[in-house]
Amino acid sequence: MISRRQFLAGALGFAGGWVLSGADLSFGAPYPHFFFTQIQYRGGEWDPNPMYAGPIVEELELRTSIDATRERRVIEVSDSALFYSPFLYMAGRYEFEPFSEAERAILKRFLTRGGFLLAEDTVGAGGFGFDRAFRREIAQILPEHPLERLSPEHPVYQSFYLIGSVAGRLKINPYLEGITIKNWTPVIYSQNDLSGAWSKDRYGKWTHECVPGGDPQRKAAFKIGINIAVYSLTADYKRDLIHHPFIRRRQNL
Amino acid sequence: MSRFALTIAPVFPLGLILLLCGLGLAAVVALYRLNREKLGEKRALTLSLLRLAAIVLILVCALNPARVIRQEHTVLPAVAVLVDMSETMGQPVAGNTGTRLEYARSLLLNGTSPLLQALKKRFRVDVYGLSDSVRPLATDELANFPAGGKKADARQTLAALGGKHAVALLLSDGNVEWRSAPLQRMPVITVPVGNPDAYRDILIKDIKVPPLGFRGREIVIDVTVKSYGYAGTSLPVVLNDSGKLLTAGDIHIGTSPAEVTASLAFTPDTVGRKNISITVPRQVGENLIGNNHADISIQVVRDKTRILMISGTPSVNYRFMRTAFKSDPSIDLLSFVILRTPSDILNVPPHEQSLIPFPVETLFTRELTDFDLVIFDNFNYSLYLRPEYLENLQAFVKSGGGFAMIGGPNLFHEGRDSLSPMADLLPVRFTDDKFYRRDLPVGVRLGRSGARHPIMQIRDGDETDDPEQERFWREMSPLEGINLMDAKPSSLVLIESADGIPWPILTVSSHGKGRVLALATDYSWKWYMGMVAAERGTQPYLRLIHRMVRWLTRDPGFDPVQITLPETGAVAGQEVDVGIAFQGESPDAVPEAALSVSVFDPAGVKVASKLKSPSETGQFLVSFAAEKEGVYRLAVETPVGSQTDFLIVAGPQDRLDAAPDHDMLKEIADTTGGKYVWPDDQLLETIGDFAQKAEGRFIEEKRLPVWANSFVMAVVLGLLSLEWFLRRRWGLI
Repeated sequence: MISRRQFLAGALGFAGGWVLSGADLSFGAPYPHFFFTQIQYRGGEWDPNPMYAGPIVEELELRTSIDATRERRVIEVSDSALFYSPFLYMAGRYEFEPFSEAERAILKRFLTRGGFLLAEDTVGAGGFGFDRAFRREIAQILPEHPLERLSPEHPVYQSFYLIGSVAGRLKINPYLEGITIKNWTPVIYSQNDLSGAWSKDRYGKWTHECVPGGDPQRKAAFKIGINIAVYSLTADYKRDLIHHPFIRRRQNL
Repeated sequence: MSRFALTIAPVFPLGLILLLCGLGLAAVVALYRLNREKLGEKRALTLSLLRLAAIVLILVCALNPARVIRQEHTVLPAVAVLVDMSETMGQPVAGNTGTRLEYARSLLLNGTSPLLQALKKRFRVDVYGLSDSVRPLATDELANFPAGGKKADARQTLAALGGKHAVALLLSDGNVEWRSAPLQRMPVITVPVGNPDAYRDILIKDIKVPPLGFRGREIVIDVTVKSYGYAGTSLPVVLNDSGKLLTAGDIHIGTSPAEVTASLAFTPDTVGRKNISITVPRQVGENLIGNNHADISIQVVRDKTRILMISGTPSVNYRFMRTAFKSDPSIDLLSFVILRTPSDILNVPPHEQSLIPFPVETLFTRELTDFDLVIFDNFNYSLYLRPEYLENLQAFVKSGGGFAMIGGPNLFHEGRDSLSPMADLLPVRFTDDKFYRRDLPVGVRLGRSGARHPIMQIRDGDETDDPEQERFWREMSPLEGINLMDAKPSSLVLIESADGIPWPILTVSSHGKGRVLALATDYSWKWYMGMVAAERGTQPYLRLIHRMVRWLTRDPGFDPVQITLPETGAVAGQEVDVGIAFQGESPDAVPEAALSVSVFDPAGVKVASKLKSPSETGQFLVSFAAEKEGVYRLAVETPVGSQTDFLIVAGPQDRLDAAPDHDMLKEIADTTGGKYVWPDDQLLETIGDFAQKAEGRFIEEKRLPVWANSFVMAVVLGLLSLEWFLRRRWGLI
């Protein structure tokens, strides 16, 4: 039998969660250890899956020891707060306006001096829309470092789960692409709409179906999401010699 | 033989003299004609002849006639007698006979016909003694001068004497420096002294040792032993470290003479300076025993600084610190990140996740001493470490290890217990209220000890008390979370919060022989990214991390007191100068009166030392007389710290090879065009043959002017006076 006080507390908690889900984090608040900072760019559609952060961070907190917040931050590239963002996120469906030279310089400084960016094309249309614009911009920002398919041995596939194949809401490419500079991959790019697989609406229902794999595919999307988050905080930690025999033994099972 | 000749050297041009002569003759003829009418023919002729004679005499003087005497002379050849008086000449010729120097002296001074006396009869003789330098010797000095000093440089000596002497006579055992004949050629007659066949000795001739050794890695020392007269013998070569046997090896001597090299290896297990003595046992009948022993010094350092880092959670702070450690090739990092806590739910079977067991027992029992530094990064150790592990950690630091605690919300839970080993170990105490605050960003500033501490010299050109340093830290990005605690009275606060209560952010202290550090924030990465955002470079952050590691692991370069030993080493009997410098804290704050220097000889007896005035601020010079060979200990005590170092003082016979080297004498004779001869009756003749070739002759020429005397002047005056007298008498005046 539930008391009136318990009912009211539960109702207030539910209402608070409902109101705050998908909300953005104010910059007046202190920075937690992990949170999404999403780039709001000009043109195109910068926020195709606005409800992705809560579910993936909830999963991150459930499975790992990472101290995270479910609220995301939204910034423009020219915002100096970009340099204090542990996990920069950028997504879209359509072609967007080119970054200015100043914005490119900021992103270059951020990415070559320790920053991290996860970018994803949420429609998986290779050579069109967001994919074309992003590849154009990243080639301008880091012209010496090509965007390449990450090998199966890359630490991002081993940072928490041992992952052999990548999937999101879609399964366009069973792998991730990235730009690697001296053992660190500051840019990871996906065309499988990971955030689409993570998104829930305010009532807790999945926003999109995962095709063609359904729920197992969604589970895989969360696993790679957790791996990317752990990689952004530990880099090539799993490349340390002490991990080798354990990982090899498990991969051979 | 003398020869005479007459020459003229006119003082005027000869034409002018002839012209004057013609004019004089004409004047005389005119005078004769003038006087003949007045005085008659006879008297006029007399006066004219007198005048002509005077003129002729004057003109003859103008021709400057001179008598030349030529005399031929013969010069005695100069012979340089060079007597080797270096230390090896003090060795016996053979068995119990006199020394080599005594033998050389006897050859020159004694006997029925002493060689030196015989030489002086035929030649000009200069005697020189050779060792460190060349010095001329009188006969009595030659008789009494003792053997001593380093081997002579024969080439340099001959180059200096070559122009003055026709031939050199070298009496030596062959232990001289000789590279090639000097440009100034002078034949050298070499006379061997000593008997190579009778010489018996074992000596440590050469030691090859790396300048640096690494802890835990094998060090190989190559010891070359030379022997004379011990063919077929096997000998041990022994390495000792402060009286404790390190290692030993055997060498077999097949022939005589022979050189055999033994490679001896050992693995140092501690860092610091190792003073190692190398000994070959004394053998029966050895001429020298002081060269059977040698001391060497090796600085043993870490090959890599081994760091064990345990992070309580994946975090940006971990990644940036890891990047900083990995950027230094001298750091070997073993890190464990707690990817999930016991309360986290794993939704896959073990073979689908990459988590590995945390080998806490192995790390904190058996392997802890393999590390130089342990770091807890936002790590709730109470969940994983048993109390005995914390006690092991405390013992590890007390014995010289380093420990750093990086802050965060997971940290310090049990540290609030004042009785726990961690509470004793850390440089901070925990407040009773909320121990971690993540509400408002907190700026930082230098703490009261921050400006002068070596960790904080992170900018290019950082100097103590630099006002720019204070501003640099005030402009650092604010921290989002800090741990609230108080510094212990014995700790130094390097950085503190600038807003409100000055909470210590970076605090250091010593614990036993080790050092500890507490960084009370998990947001130091913001300092790095703040500098990237401001385009101020990233080196200061990397240097801060690297200097924390160096200070915690007691990098010798961070010691406040630095001792500089003489680069060329030291030899017994010499005055030794040792430099002392201060750095880091405040070099000018150490007055001379507060500096205590003690020097102990190899027997542990304190020896007198003199502190010289500093040439620069914070630099001193200590000098002392190193009378004995062996390892001297230098202890420096100052208010800012103490330091001990060791100086190897070599003995006079250290690596001395005193075997007669007659082949060297043959080479000198051959390359100078001289001769290698045994002392016998023919020696004097041989010297004579070489000297005769250089015998010199010269002709001495003396020029005596004929007119330059009073007689000629008197004759001229007499002739003119007689002419004047006759003129007056005959009534012309």
